[in-house]
Amino acid sequence: MNRNVSRIFAALFGILAIALPLFAGDYPLQVARNIMLYMALAITWDMLLRSGQISFGIAGLFGVGAYAAILGVIRAGMPAWFSIIFAAIFSGVVAFAIGFLILRLRAMYFSIVTLALGEIFRIIIHNLHDFTGGPEGVVMQQGVIFGGSAGKLYWLTLAGLAVAIAASYWFEKSKIHFALTAIRNNEISAKSSGVNIFRWLLLAFVVTSAIQGLLGGIFVQSYGFATPDTVFSADFTLLPLAMALLGGVYSTRGPIFGAILLGLVSEWLKLKIPYGHLVVYGIIIIIVILFMPQGLKQLVRQPANKTDRRSA
Amino acid sequence: MKRMMLALAVFALIAGSAYAQGTIKIGGIWTLADITGKQGSAAAQMAVDEINAAGGILGKKLDLIVVDDEGKADKAAAAVEKLATVDKVDVFMGGMGSGAELGKIPAFKKYGKVVMSTGAAGSVTVEKALGPSPESDFYFHIHPWDYNQGASYAEGWDAIQKQYPNIKIRKIFLAYEEGAFGKSSWDATKILFGGDNRYIVDGASFKSALFGGGDYTSVLEAAKAFKPDLFLWAGYDADALPLLEQSKAMKFSPGIYLGAPPGWPIGFGSSKLSRNVMLYGMWSPAMNDNNPASAKFYKNYVAKYKEEPATYFAPLSYSAVYILADGIKAAGTTETAPLIKALEATKYASPLGETITFKPSNIIKHQGITRQKILQWQGGFQEVIWPFEAATAEPVYPFPAWK
Repeated sequence: MNRNVSRIFAALFGILAIALPLFAGDYPLQVARNIMLYMALAITWDMLLRSGQISFGIAGLFGVGAYAAILGVIRAGMPAWFSIIFAAIFSGVVAFAIGFLILRLRAMYFSIVTLALGEIFRIIIHNLHDFTGGPEGVVMQQGVIFGGSAGKLYWLTLAGLAVAIAASYWFEKSKIHFALTAIRNNEISAKSSGVNIFRWLLLAFVVTSAIQGLLGGIFVQSYGFATPDTVFSADFTLLPLAMALLGGVYSTRGPIFGAILLGLVSEWLKLKIPYGHLVVYGIIIIIVILFMPQGLKQLVRQPANKTDRRSA
Repeated sequence: MKRMMLALAVFALIAGSAYAQGTIKIGGIWTLADITGKQGSAAAQMAVDEINAAGGILGKKLDLIVVDDEGKADKAAAAVEKLATVDKVDVFMGGMGSGAELGKIPAFKKYGKVVMSTGAAGSVTVEKALGPSPESDFYFHIHPWDYNQGASYAEGWDAIQKQYPNIKIRKIFLAYEEGAFGKSSWDATKILFGGDNRYIVDGASFKSALFGGGDYTSVLEAAKAFKPDLFLWAGYDADALPLLEQSKAMKFSPGIYLGAPPGWPIGFGSSKLSRNVMLYGMWSPAMNDNNPASAKFYKNYVAKYKEEPATYFAPLSYSAVYILADGIKAAGTTETAPLIKALEATKYASPLGETITFKPSNIIKHQGITRQKILQWQGGFQEVIWPFEAATAEPVYPFPAWK
């Protein structure tokens, strides 16, 4: 019964999300685009976290995808829509190549290397000045995709989010889930049970990186430019991480709820307290992480557990 | 019938007066966590209050609606959308960083309302993204582009050396932050100072303290080995004091020590390290002595906010509101085409010490200020050294050796 209700809610939510441009103005659509972008990044971060690997490399792969897309258009004359797919493929290939080196690392060593990767990518872009535009970045002369149509840009970002959600559910519902959970719980027992640890980690790393690259491609096509300071910004790592932690990790729903809540709160605070909203926003994140380490899921579970105990 | 006519006349009168009592909405977008945005928006509000106190424009009050762009492209785009569709503003103003400005440009183009831009000097990206006339005619860029600034510095140093023969510059070293701001400064310096072998130019980049850097040892070592007559750093306010501290520790004291951040740390002048450091800028409170517009702005700002304006973005934003108000008054409307035409005739005697007019730049049609100033910290105050017509003090040369 509960599962059916949640499916109906999910279907209604999906229909509402698709139909939003038919009745919402350009401002809510722009805010929704921003939220969906971070939501998709939060989901991809969580997907890799399910293997026990904490990555701080989201901004790095996002930036690689962003530059692949914009340079694909400027240097190779790719159509805008194809450059987004190219961004995903390119980031996936980069992740595949570096995955062979870094996926042998664990825990904080892996985290530190992924953090450094973002910085390395940024420095490479900085120094290939003639090709990438260097620190000043590059601009697409032909402007943004779809002529800047708010509705179409919204649907493009929604499509990127749909890819992330679909991949996340694939991870949740297929045998990948068992493999990643086994690796997270105990690598030695997973290995002795026949789980090919490196193969599953590589799959998770490449898939999540490809989606992050895809989102980078969508971002640059939506704004028509890329600069290292913008597309490699730490915000693309820290905000998704905060959203996933707020909503609750190891699931698709957690980052979705976290992103909606933080995204809306951030925008609301900005309008209500223009000169101090970032301080309040930071305090909210700290309080939630301190008192609800399992995220909003904890709020939902605690009353449910109490009800269960009472009925027992 | 007579009653009906009377009722209609009364209705028309009420409707007319209601229309006249309406507001002209200005949408202001700044990075409010930064001092340039905080003081820029405060100064713009002050100008709005002054204009409203004097009766408003076209019988209407001005209303400034401020939204924070957080220095991010996506937030900046959302700010434009909110102001255009929810608040239904008539014109836009504000801006500082090029990254956030690039996020706004697609939305600005979509709505085509007049924009009075007070920042975004990055010509390689922002000016290119705006495109040529008539596509970008709605955009009035008051702040100089990076190449305008470079050209004015070259002009200034030539003039200073001519005026003061004891100041001799042959070798210039530029320490630049590794981002877009620093890189564009380096590119401009190489061309404008290094071209035709006018000066021997060298440089090196550093990571700004604003972005997690703060160790300038290698760049200062390179500079010291180069023995420059003029040492220039292009970074942010967060770099000012640590750079000087490390220069002192390394006993690096070139003939001219010059900084070019967009704003200086509050209270920098009270530090002993600031002594005789030169700087690039547009405005200083020292100009109050010979510029009545500057004195009026300064007096009103301090009275209203109980703090000193610490960045030229304050008088720049203040000027932007007056230019918009004068343009709307002349055009008699906020409609884009007539307003553009009226703004093209702008001649505004600004607190920045120059009369602002709009002329074509390399790409866009409406460029305001093209010249910066060379100043020097003397006795805790910023004194203008060049242009000579705005000068408030003689330069102190050379930069004193560290004790």
